[in-house]
Order: sequence, then C-alpha cells, then structure tokens
Amino acid sequence: MATPVLEVRHVGKRYGDTPAVVDISFDVQSGQILALLGPSGCGKTTTLRMIAGFVEPDEGTIAIGGRNMRGVRPHERSVGLVFQDYALFPHLTVAQNVAYGLRQRGDSRDETARRVREMLSLVRLAGFDDRRPAGLSGGQQQRVALARAMAITPDVMLLDEPLSALDAKLRQQLRFELKQILQAAHCTTLIVTHDQEEAMSLADEIIVMDQGRVLQQGCAAAIYHSPRTRTVAEFIGRTNWFEGKLGQGLAPGFREFVTAEGRFVVRSDGSVNGESGQFCVRPERLRMLPAEALPSEELNTVSGTLMGAEYLGSEIHHAVALDSGRTLICVEQNRDQSLPTPGTRITVGFRPADCILTS
Amino acid sequence: MDAGIHAPPRLGNAVERLRKRHRLQRIADDVSGAIVVVGIWLTVFLLLLPLVITFSMSFDARDYLGAFPPPSLSLRWYAKFFSDSYLLEGLKTSLQIATLTALASTSLGLAAAVALERLPSRYAQPLISLFLSPLIVPGVVIGFGLLIFYARTGVDSTFLRLLGGHVLITFPYAIRTVLAALGGIRPSLVEVAQSLGASPTRAFWTVTFPLARTGVAAGAIFAFVFSLDDVAVSIFLSDPHRYTLPVALVSMLHANFDLTIAAAAVLIIGASIGLMCMLDWLAGLDRVIGSGYYKP
Repeated sequence: MATPVLEVRHVGKRYGDTPAVVDISFDVQSGQILALLGPSGCGKTTTLRMIAGFVEPDEGTIAIGGRNMRGVRPHERSVGLVFQDYALFPHLTVAQNVAYGLRQRGDSRDETARRVREMLSLVRLAGFDDRRPAGLSGGQQQRVALARAMAITPDVMLLDEPLSALDAKLRQQLRFELKQILQAAHCTTLIVTHDQEEAMSLADEIIVMDQGRVLQQGCAAAIYHSPRTRTVAEFIGRTNWFEGKLGQGLAPGFREFVTAEGRFVVRSDGSVNGESGQFCVRPERLRMLPAEALPSEELNTVSGTLMGAEYLGSEIHHAVALDSGRTLICVEQNRDQSLPTPGTRITVGFRPADCILTS
Repeated sequence: MDAGIHAPPRLGNAVERLRKRHRLQRIADDVSGAIVVVGIWLTVFLLLLPLVITFSMSFDARDYLGAFPPPSLSLRWYAKFFSDSYLLEGLKTSLQIATLTALASTSLGLAAAVALERLPSRYAQPLISLFLSPLIVPGVVIGFGLLIFYARTGVDSTFLRLLGGHVLITFPYAIRTVLAALGGIRPSLVEVAQSLGASPTRAFWTVTFPLARTGVAAGAIFAFVFSLDDVAVSIFLSDPHRYTLPVALVSMLHANFDLTIAAAAVLIIGASIGLMCMLDWLAGLDRVIGSGYYKP
C-alpha cells in the first residue's frame, strides 16, 4: 500500500493534569475521507489542532506527506482548514478570500485569477467574486471557506464541524454537496464532528473517540452493526439494552444469553466473553407481533404492553413496557398502518443476528 | 374548595392589608422615581450651565466682565484670540503635542495590546491593570512626579517633557480601544490565515490590523482629544517659552482676565466635540467603549 498522506502515531497531549488525547494512532490514505467522531471534549478538536500545527503534541509523531511535522509551524504545513464558523475574512471579498492563500504563496496575478475562478465554479459560486462574506447565506459562506482552503491544493483538508452551524434541512442538502466536492477534487480529508449522521454520510471511515482515546475504527456500517463497546453503540444510533449472563454456545457464531426477561439467542463472534454482559438491539430491528407469536431458532421474543406511539411522519416510534417494567423503543416505517391502541398486549420479536453483544 | 367572591372575614383582613401595602409601595416608587428624574435634570443643568454661560460670554461685546446676559454680541474676543501671539504659540504647541501623542500612544497601545492578547489571562490581567493605572492617579500627582523624574534623569527639553507626560496619560485610552478592537477579532481568522501560508507577521498585517483599524483610529482620536484638554499634568511640565494652550489660558486667568479665555475655551470645546463626532461616525462610540467588532 502507498504511504498514507497523513500518519498519526501514538500521539498524546495533556493540559496540566488533564489528558486531552491519549496515545492515538491512525492513517488517512490519499483521497480518503476520515471522520473523528465523539462528544465534545473527547479530544477530537485537539487532534485536529495538532495536525494543523497550532498545538504541539507531548508525545508521538504526526507526518504529512511522509514528512515529520514536529517543529513545523502552521504556515509551513500544507493543510486546508475549514472552521465551524467558516472564519471568512470580513474585510475581503469572496474572490479575495479565495485568493488569500495563493497570494501568500506568491502565485502570479493571472494564475491566481484563474485558480479563483476554477474554485468558485467548483463550489458553484461563480459570479459571487465581489460579494462580501456578510452578504452570503450560511451555506454559501461554508462553500467559500471550502474553496479558499482547497485553492492551495493542500496535502490534507481538515474540516472542524463543517456543517453544524447550519440548520437541519440545509445541513442534509449540503452534506451531499460537500461529499461530491471533496471527491471531485480527490481531497484527502479529516473531518472532526460530534454529529454521527455527518460522520456516517461524509466519511469512508470513522474513528469513534471518547475521553481522548480511540474506541473503534471502521466504516459506518461496521460501527453501526458491530460496535465493540456500549459507549460506541450508544453514541452511534439508538439502542435497546438487555443485561444478563452469557450462556452456552449454540450453532457456530451464536450463543445463549440469559436475562431476567427470558432466554435469547444472540450473535457472537467470540470476542466478548465473561460472566455478566449485555446486548442491544436497534429499535428498527424490533418487530411488533401479535401477543400469541412464539419464539423460534430464528426469532427471539419478549412480551409486553403497548404504552403509546409517537407519530413522526416517516417513522412511528412505539414504546413497549416489558413485564419486567422496562421500556423498549420500537421504530416502524410509516406505511399508513393503523396505530394499535395503548394497553394492547403484544410480543416483540427480533432476530439473533440483530443482537449486538458488547463489552 | 372554591373560596368564591366572598372570602371568609379573616382572609378578607389579609387581602386588605396586602392591598394597603401595595398602595404604599406604589407611592414610594413614584416618589423615588420623581427624585431620580429631578436628579437627572439637576445634573444636566449643572453640567451645561457653565458651558452655556461661557459660550454666551465669548460673544459678549462689552469691555469688562458684565452681568449675564450680554446686552450685545460681537466676535471681538475671537479676533483677539487669533491675534494674540501668546495664545497662538500655546495653540501651536498643543496641536503638535496632541498629534505626536496620538501617534505615539496608539503605536504603543497597539504593540502592548497585541502582546497582551497572546498572553494567558492570568498574566495579561495584572498587566492590563498596570497599563490602565494612570487613569486612577490624579493628574497633579503624575505631573509633579514627572517633574522630579525629568529633573533627575536630565530630560531638559520642555517639548519632550510635555510629550512624555501626555503619552503617559493618554496611553490607557489607546490601549483600551485597541484591546476592545482586537478582542472582537475571532482567533480562527488568524489561524486560517496561517493555515493558508501566512507567517504570523503577515497574518497580523493582512488580517488582524485591517480588522482592528477602526479601533486603532478611535484610540488615536481619544488620545488627541485628551492631550488637547489636559491642564493638570501640563502645568507642571511647561515653562514660560513652551506651554500648551490650556496652560496659557490658566496663566492668563491669573494675570489679566478678559473674555479671550471664553473664546479659546469655546474653540477647544468645539474641536473636542467635532473629533468625538468623527469618532462616533468612524467607529460608533458605544462600540469603542463597549464591546468589540466582528463578534459573531
């Protein structure tokens, strides 16, 4: 495999007695989009600032394009930064903003003008040259910031919460655009975000961070389908938990799991062992069955009483009270089905393959 | 249980007491409100009255200091001011000192403010207090202290003595306006500039300075106005040959009192008001004194 464009090796940083980042390592390959995902204060922003050169790591090495970045100042690195607040220069026009990096580099006037035109048309803002940032919408400002960073063809693009300053509708639309622009320019990109949807939709690979450590790395589907820990499972997507004890092994890849609410068959790759444990089922994998439905090898069941439903348009969320007193959330697609009356006894069914065993 | 319209007698007494208390509170509020309004008008009156009298006296046509209001008006005191070489010499020195003070104070203020911005706040805060301390030391004390300091250190030029004193007393205003302007510039702007290949120095001159420019100009105007108006410090540092206009006016007040002083005072007030209006138009006075610019 070719050398990764960005290499982070055993990097650590502490502020006083508080560790901000603890021994993290990852690579970003050429043209790859990687997301650092985690709650605020998990160390993802510190990591980004170390790569950009604003913070010097206490230990470990960061290499960009195969070159060790220790002691290299921010302006000597080849990174394109897009901040959450876009940080457009308010005293410059859109074209001057995009040209800023090119002028620092000493490009000729003609070359700069050509590149600015090219960048503005890439982000579909051709003709906005003489506008001031204050006169642009949030989405347009974001695209100017992107064009300005990409204009200098940096080795790595660093995006800090690129979409979180926008409202929900616009965010969804821009997510798609952003990915297209980054892919069209074959940008090697690191995105830092706390928004799981942003990470899943934009990134080829996701690193979930918490308390300065890497919890899990993988593509969106792998992290959603096989989170290794409870923290990861809860951070990505919604969960219904069952706690109890691991029982005997069944067919290859499956094990028995004993809880106060009954015995279940769960998927197990053997990585989780020990006496007590837990597994979760995603709400959309729970099926609402009639009360008389019976368990089988292919179906776990647990019975309960319908509490009520939230009608959310495309989805309907049902709350089901189990006989143990706990509540499960069950998500159904809205197919114009009639809503069952609260108080109805039902059986909730789920496939063993949908049971996620975590440590 | 619903109490209905007719409350039981015991409760009725309580309601009555409460109403009485509300009535008394309302009277107390009205009285204190009226006192505040009277106080405000009294203050405005006391502040403006001397100005109004000075203004009208400067146009007084009489030779002597007569009763208010003047029976007839003329521009003779203004004419006398502009033909009085003693006062004009003071005006020239005042304008020279004020201009140089404005330049020096703002340059120093800019340099200090940039340094303070980069320091952690636990070091910056004490330094800011130190830099602002000339504000709380009386001008007379500063003037006397400087006089002794200059005598000991052998600074003989009266012009330099005056300039040093004026920079000292205007520096707090300059540093405050520049700090406010710098504080309003988001750190991410400078970081982005650096990521785009600008060295810290380039980033300062291409991003920080253009954004702080109005604040810096405001600081310069502040310094100019305060320098032009100062008496307390200048009176210690002037000599019979080099003196500022306010010092010349004070000494005239002792020697031969005539209404040229009123005319000069009106001119200084006019210049100050003009500059303050310019400042307000340039940057917005509330923004210079209050928060910074470009805050999201």
